[in-house]
Amino acid sequence: MKKMIVIQISALLLISGGLGGMLLFTDVYEEVQSNIVLILCLSCMKLEVNTIKEFTFETANDEPHPDFVLDNLTKGPVFLHYSEKACPGCDIMYPIIKQFFNIEFEKNEMFYETVNYENSSVSYFYTNIDYSSEEMRNSLSIYDKDHVHGLPMFSVVTLGYDRGIIRPYYTSVYGTLGFDNDEERISLLTELMQESIDMYNQNWEGYNPDQQ
Amino acid sequence: MKFQIKRLLSQILIFFSANLGAFGLKTGFCYPFFYCHSCPTSTSACPLKAIENSVYNIKDNGIAWKLLFYPILILGFFGALTGRAICGWACPIGLLQRGTGRIARKLKKYPIVRKLGQHKIEPRLRYIKYFVFIILVVITSALIGFMFTDICPIGFLTGTIPTLILYPGKFMPNPFFWVALVIFIMFLVLIFTVEQGWCRYFCPIGALLAPFNKISILHISVDTAKCIHCNACSEVCPMGIDVPNMKRDPECILCGKCINVCSKSYITFERK
Repeated sequence: MKKMIVIQISALLLISGGLGGMLLFTDVYEEVQSNIVLILCLSCMKLEVNTIKEFTFETANDEPHPDFVLDNLTKGPVFLHYSEKACPGCDIMYPIIKQFFNIEFEKNEMFYETVNYENSSVSYFYTNIDYSSEEMRNSLSIYDKDHVHGLPMFSVVTLGYDRGIIRPYYTSVYGTLGFDNDEERISLLTELMQESIDMYNQNWEGYNPDQQ
Repeated sequence: MKFQIKRLLSQILIFFSANLGAFGLKTGFCYPFFYCHSCPTSTSACPLKAIENSVYNIKDNGIAWKLLFYPILILGFFGALTGRAICGWACPIGLLQRGTGRIARKLKKYPIVRKLGQHKIEPRLRYIKYFVFIILVVITSALIGFMFTDICPIGFLTGTIPTLILYPGKFMPNPFFWVALVIFIMFLVLIFTVEQGWCRYFCPIGALLAPFNKISILHISVDTAKCIHCNACSEVCPMGIDVPNMKRDPECILCGKCINVCSKSYITFERK
């Protein structure tokens, strides 16, 4: 009986000490909250987001567009790619995006490059939420147009004409874009990029980032 | 208040507290029981998802040790205190099976069902949950992908169905949906035909909690010297345990039905 009590107390001390230590000295609580609880797991739901690619002026959480987007909009449309480490959908889309923009980068890091897409400049931002800055992570909620909060998410920000002012105009698509083959995924991305470049070319002359 | 009413109230209360996400409470804890964080009203994370994430694509990502130990320590904390009482007193899926168990108990009156239940292979089927945990949760996540997540019937019940009801037209089935639907139907058949069937044979969280029954502070004790072997306790046990001969059985969910039914009070909760 005494042996059992010693085992019980030792186990309880070891476990509660370990758990308390993890909560006090690591960011595991925040990591679970931001990467599991607050991010919708499409894989767990066995669902895909119904892709609606309409552009809008209103940000998803009514916050202003981040500075890094406004500044880069002077050069051309901005393409935002959100991903995370443990995400099968992200793994499917990662090589497709690399192929689409003809770029090379590591999955588990932050990445930015101005790419030449069909003779237009496109600012490409890759945000892996496990490895990115707070500003980049926060932009996920700004562009989460359909309030899905799921990954991967792809946002294209271009310029649109809104009652006399040229303003950032964006759309977001999610997951594996609702298709089960790469051709259709690339075709949707091509359509999106073409539309955003056309709108950008129509409106860029009137754009002033300081007015936003 | 009757003991089983107290247990029911505990299960209902914990079910509501697991869904406080409806009021905006989203924490960074893992549930110590089975409930899916993809449920629109969930407050915490499924411990299995944290484990899966920690080992996902191990070749490229390595092991996220803190994400691996965190859910295990949460489960271990409750396990060391109360063993699998979590399954019997807190788990919402346990609550669901408490409801469906009435039908399963009625089926037990049929000789063929009783015979099947007493088949020598039945105790071996209980090891399936350990394989589900090791192979489907850990190994496939590390080497292939989220196989358990893709087919999890609890995710289907608490995540997929509520999401499709609350947000009609916003989502559409992914390639795993139909496989998961078939498994979900099998899950329903199981819980309506075998009392606590999911807990007995398949629950990977039960597999994690079960070893703690061997050392938990709270456990059920049988006075074997005085027991008259009327077997009334085994008859009511939802986990199908041979109660008079049990000693810290890993399958016991501490529901206390055996204590209630023992006319001699030879079965008790013990705290040591």
